[in-house]
Amino acid sequence: MNHALGTPIQGVTLYSFTRAFHAREYDLEGLIRKVAAEGYGPGLEVIGFSSFRGFPEIDDRFAGWFRDLVDEVGLVTTSLAVNADIGIHRDRLLTQDELIDYMRRQIVAAAKLGFPIARVQISLTPDSMEQLAPIAEEHGVTLALEVHADQYASHPRILALRDRYEQVGSPFLGFTMDWGATVSGFAPSLLEAYRRRGASEELLAKVVDLWNGFYEQGPPADQAEHGQRFGAFIGLAAQNGRPDLGIDFGINGTGLFGPARVDDWLEIMPWIRHVHGKFFGIDEQGEEPSVPVRDLIALLVDNGYNGAISSEYEGWHWNHWQSPFDIIAGEQAVQRSAAEAAGSRMITDAAEARAILDAHLRKAVRA
Amino acid sequence: MIPDRIIEPNTLTTDGRRAEVEVRIPWYRALPGSCIAGAVLRIDGVPAAEDSLRWTMNGRTFRFDELVDETGEWWFPTDSAVLSGEVPVEADDAEHQVDVDVKLYIPYIVIGENEVLHIEEHDRKTMKAGQR
Repeated sequence: MNHALGTPIQGVTLYSFTRAFHAREYDLEGLIRKVAAEGYGPGLEVIGFSSFRGFPEIDDRFAGWFRDLVDEVGLVTTSLAVNADIGIHRDRLLTQDELIDYMRRQIVAAAKLGFPIARVQISLTPDSMEQLAPIAEEHGVTLALEVHADQYASHPRILALRDRYEQVGSPFLGFTMDWGATVSGFAPSLLEAYRRRGASEELLAKVVDLWNGFYEQGPPADQAEHGQRFGAFIGLAAQNGRPDLGIDFGINGTGLFGPARVDDWLEIMPWIRHVHGKFFGIDEQGEEPSVPVRDLIALLVDNGYNGAISSEYEGWHWNHWQSPFDIIAGEQAVQRSAAEAAGSRMITDAAEARAILDAHLRKAVRA
Repeated sequence: MIPDRIIEPNTLTTDGRRAEVEVRIPWYRALPGSCIAGAVLRIDGVPAAEDSLRWTMNGRTFRFDELVDETGEWWFPTDSAVLSGEVPVEADDAEHQVDVDVKLYIPYIVIGENEVLHIEEHDRKTMKAGQR
């Protein structure tokens, strides 16, 4: 055997519970306790601007409270999702210096709260990532840039980042793999949501056919082709008497359900530091019908991935008729089953997760 | 997105001249005042005059043109803001149709040269008006 099989760490992002938090059904403490009690961890990912009031300013007292709570309930902080709010001023974009400072404050917050990874996004260029590398290193926080639909691992922008990472050679630069880039079907739960909004079966069948055609073609080569696909969804809705659904079809059909193949991830596999286990629902057979979860887990296990997978349930946008909590438990069961089928297992013990994540993040690419 | 929760149920009040209603962010994360680009308030189909609209969050009240440069006050996902404006409504036992539109800039999603994504969301709810 060339290498050891990976043992990914099970976890969840609180983003999955957005509607419950937004509805004030659970506050941050209540949600963290729920995650621990229901066994969605041990990995815990949080979006800074969603969960922490006043983010990225985090005072010592709050940071202490948060870290104590995470320890008490037996979770392991994995990734703090941060944002490059380049357009925060209405009349202009941030200058490069302002952007670096904006990101620095969030990296400091991640360190203070005990997150070893900060999830960053595609709006950061290779130059920005290079500039941020020493800041990441100073604070011991790995920057994992999210590869999310409508990008994908072999997209020119992602390859440009990868090539820069290789030049810079910092173990603190990497990627977050988001499974939304490699979806295999239009989510049935979203079709059900459209059905509930009065969309005809004929129209829904056409939406599925259109997406399947794009899947056959593979991901869009560039932004122009992406725009054409977006426009095709809008046109389909208009031609079928539901122009009101067109933008929704386009946003989801191109921005959530990315049609790249699973093995596309091999382009950046050594730099994958974190994973968003993006998914949309669980069917009657207990499987995810539109995300190839089993194939993705097998790929990660076969390639020795020992980082965390945050289950990231996105169906909350449209599925108001089912609780997210059971659906997430269902998806994590698929992940565990898939890891065993691949000859390995998911890590569900907190102490083991801490040790494995620490080793995973200290391993520089091609060191 | 969470447009179905923009209007907080049963929060419409009036002082006879100005009506106000509590509003929730239709987005998953906090946004600063600078990203709150505008709103519309209509009661029973009658819009409040644009220059009479005020936005209150974190105990401070703004005109929309004052929010343009406001990066210090943020609309947190679990907080209600208050949208108010001059529009007539009776504080009687009648049900009133409340419509709110909000326009938000999403500051991290760059869609073009010097341009970030903006979203426009709408909610409609029916409720009685309380006297303030």
